Amino acid sequence: MLNVENAGYNGIYLPECRLAMDGSHPEAKYTFITHAHSDHLPGNRQSTVWCTHPTYEFMQRRGFKGKAHIIEFGDTIVLESCRVSVYPAGHILGSAMFFVEKNQQSLFYTGDCRTPASPATEGFDRPDRTDFLVLDATFSLPIYRWKSHDELASELRDFAIQTLNESYTPVFLGYNLGKAQELLHLLAPLNHPMQIHGAGYKLCSIYEKESVDLGDYGAYDRESCEGKILVTTSSALNRGFASNIKIKRVAYCSGWAALESCRTQLNADKLIPISDHIDFFEMLKLCDSMNPQKVYIAHSPNPDVLKYYLEKKGIQAAVI
Amino acid sequence: MSNNSFRNLCLVLQAIRETRGSNAKNRICADYFRSLVSQKDLNLATRFIGEGAFETFSGKRASVGSRTSATAAADFCEIDYEHVFKPCRTATGSSSETIEKLMANLDIARNKRIPCHLPLAEIEQIFESLCLVSGREEKQKILLNTWQRMTPVEIKYFIRILGQGSLRIGFEIRSVVSAIATAFNKDAEQVRYVHMITGSAGKTAVLAKTDCLDEAVFQLFHPLSFMLASPIDNRSVGNLSKYFAEEKFDGMRAQLHTDGHKVKLFSRDLNDVTQSFPEISEFIVNRNLPPTVLDGEICVYKDDTIFPFQLLQKRMGLKNPNIKILKKYPVLFISYDLLYTMKEPIFEKRLSDRRELLENLARTYGIPITRQFDVQNWKDMERLFERALAHGNEGLMLKRKASRYEYGQRKKSWLKVKKPGGSLDTVIMYAHAGNGKRGGTYSDFTLGISVKNDERYEEEFIPIGKAYGGYTDDELRKINENIKELAVERYGPTLGLIPELMVEIEFDDIQVNNRTKAGYTMRLPRFRAIRWDLSPEDANTLKDVEKIYRKKIEQERMRQGVNASILIY
Repeated sequence: MLNVENAGYNGIYLPECRLAMDGSHPEAKYTFITHAHSDHLPGNRQSTVWCTHPTYEFMQRRGFKGKAHIIEFGDTIVLESCRVSVYPAGHILGSAMFFVEKNQQSLFYTGDCRTPASPATEGFDRPDRTDFLVLDATFSLPIYRWKSHDELASELRDFAIQTLNESYTPVFLGYNLGKAQELLHLLAPLNHPMQIHGAGYKLCSIYEKESVDLGDYGAYDRESCEGKILVTTSSALNRGFASNIKIKRVAYCSGWAALESCRTQLNADKLIPISDHIDFFEMLKLCDSMNPQKVYIAHSPNPDVLKYYLEKKGIQAAVI
Repeated sequence: MSNNSFRNLCLVLQAIRETRGSNAKNRICADYFRSLVSQKDLNLATRFIGEGAFETFSGKRASVGSRTSATAAADFCEIDYEHVFKPCRTATGSSSETIEKLMANLDIARNKRIPCHLPLAEIEQIFESLCLVSGREEKQKILLNTWQRMTPVEIKYFIRILGQGSLRIGFEIRSVVSAIATAFNKDAEQVRYVHMITGSAGKTAVLAKTDCLDEAVFQLFHPLSFMLASPIDNRSVGNLSKYFAEEKFDGMRAQLHTDGHKVKLFSRDLNDVTQSFPEISEFIVNRNLPPTVLDGEICVYKDDTIFPFQLLQKRMGLKNPNIKILKKYPVLFISYDLLYTMKEPIFEKRLSDRRELLENLARTYGIPITRQFDVQNWKDMERLFERALAHGNEGLMLKRKASRYEYGQRKKSWLKVKKPGGSLDTVIMYAHAGNGKRGGTYSDFTLGISVKNDERYEEEFIPIGKAYGGYTDDELRKINENIKELAVERYGPTLGLIPELMVEIEFDDIQVNNRTKAGYTMRLPRFRAIRWDLSPEDANTLKDVEKIYRKKIEQERMRQGVNASILIY
């Protein structure tokens, strides 16, 4: 039996393997990082981690000072305590999932994942089956069912075109690592100049190095941003981003945009529920096909519903 | 797509919802109204958007509660109501939005639905049939049958329209009325006037479309929306001599219609409350009034004294009260405005002119009216305010002499000057997930007072009321951060908290309410401050609450003598 403990803010620790994933643990010998979002990084900026190359580069640009063993998708790393195979998670560029095997037992840790994969990532792949599944359940309610990326891309482009046609400046709100670049990538075919907030801009070249087309983009410049497609975060918008431009329309791009209430909370003109997390229905499919004996429900604000569904299927479920 | 389909109406509603700016919303709605060919469809569409399933003054209700539609939806989607539906509703903060999403997302629900473009007239019949059947099961049968023929967005708005409340698209009745004016290129003021006297958005739209606005006539026994007062803001008052002052009664606002033989009384929400107050009808009929509409206040009145709202409460909602109650809590209708007299609505006249007509009427027929005072300066105001409180009244009203009767609006022509009822230091016991705009946060709070040293109770704290306003966005965020750590139990959308977070609550009044554990409730409770400096030890006790209540009831009340607040000829 592989024991699973909490580690750090969002991560887990496997004591038998002395392996921490997405978090630090005092007894950990190995720390694996799935992706570079800050809630998945080790508390100690000087430590040594295992991660993909893009993840390491993102971490460095965001202030990580430690060392990394670079791992590749498809690799299987043989440690003295266990074997770890690396799968692409489809969440953001470089995001990985880890398949841990020890003594004929296996555990699949998804970190944050998205299937079908975000088009600005290396894709999504997984092992056929696992004994234990630690699942990203951020959106684990049946009110969340994502549209296809094609449909979402047309929603984004239609909003941009319509807004520009009416001589308004379109502003897309999304997190500056991952979502922002995904938006640039999906809007690139419009061939319209785009500007992205500085915090997101400094991460873009890593995407381009991995051959993700981000179109005609530059760093946000207050003086010249009018009439461009703008990409920023909601907090930057509140702090004066493009506040000199009175006629603009704002689209909020997030899984949370599925909820009507964020329209008034964020003062958004348009809600585009484009998420880099797996939706409820894909979670059920994943659990069905990987057939785990137990699922650990992670990152969920309302885990009880998924637990209820899994238990009805005869799959043990626990909240982590 | 056919224009008169319900789906088309719902797409228009959704477009209005997704548009910011009242001009843009107005245009969308006006274009839609213009696109409807038949008068019948226009009438229905306007009603559905502006009022609900039934016309406001019809008093009709479908009586489909949110639990009825929610459990029907859970059945339809074949999901568990407790384990699946309720957590989803907590996340969205809206039952109808949850239903819309589940209907769209779940394959089982998708496969059952074969949307067909139901015409508006058929929706009207469905609303009627829901009104006709009683019992949850019967109503649910109709709901399930209807939803099979709808898209998710239709189902959402069908439920909201059925609820006869706000559609939550940022487009209330006033906006609908101005969209009618835009659609048919009519004077907005005239449309508003016609809406006022007909009391019907649908009829108004049809009159506008057919160029017949001039034909609208006021009808007795159709309630008019009330003119409302704003809280005073000294800066906005300017010259006090432009206002009349009168005492603000601690009673129930009402509108009285009579043709001399028959009397009808309407409450502020336009419900017919005539049967609760037979002595008012009798009094008016005995006075032999000509056809008249009066605006005023119902108060308990005995021994030349006005008694507090708490006593009037014993009469409210009680139909056909018995002799004992009538003797114990006799009521009086005190008029302060005249809206219809000599076969003519006069709400476009200035207040001073209406007042003159009201005084004439009062003198001739002997009906009680408020006394009005001229005030020159704030010193006059203070003197009058103190006297109003001595009479047991709530404070003062300032009414601009030149103002017309601004029905259905809260503007600056009437100002209320009130003394807050008081405040209590309470502890937050439960947090409730918000709805609509506040979905996804905990925005309503059940507040507790201490009964630790009270031999009647075993608990430490018991609820005294629920508040959902008065805090800033920032304070609400801080409370939400804090309650996460204090939460110990979860009941669907409600969190049970360790009693620790102290808030000072301001209220207008304390009332007896025997259905609550404390036996008392607060009227209009709202946050005054989060008291980070206090601990639960400092919470006010039930005994404090009882003291405040007794003080109010037993307060010496100045009789209506020399400086009376009312005039009875």
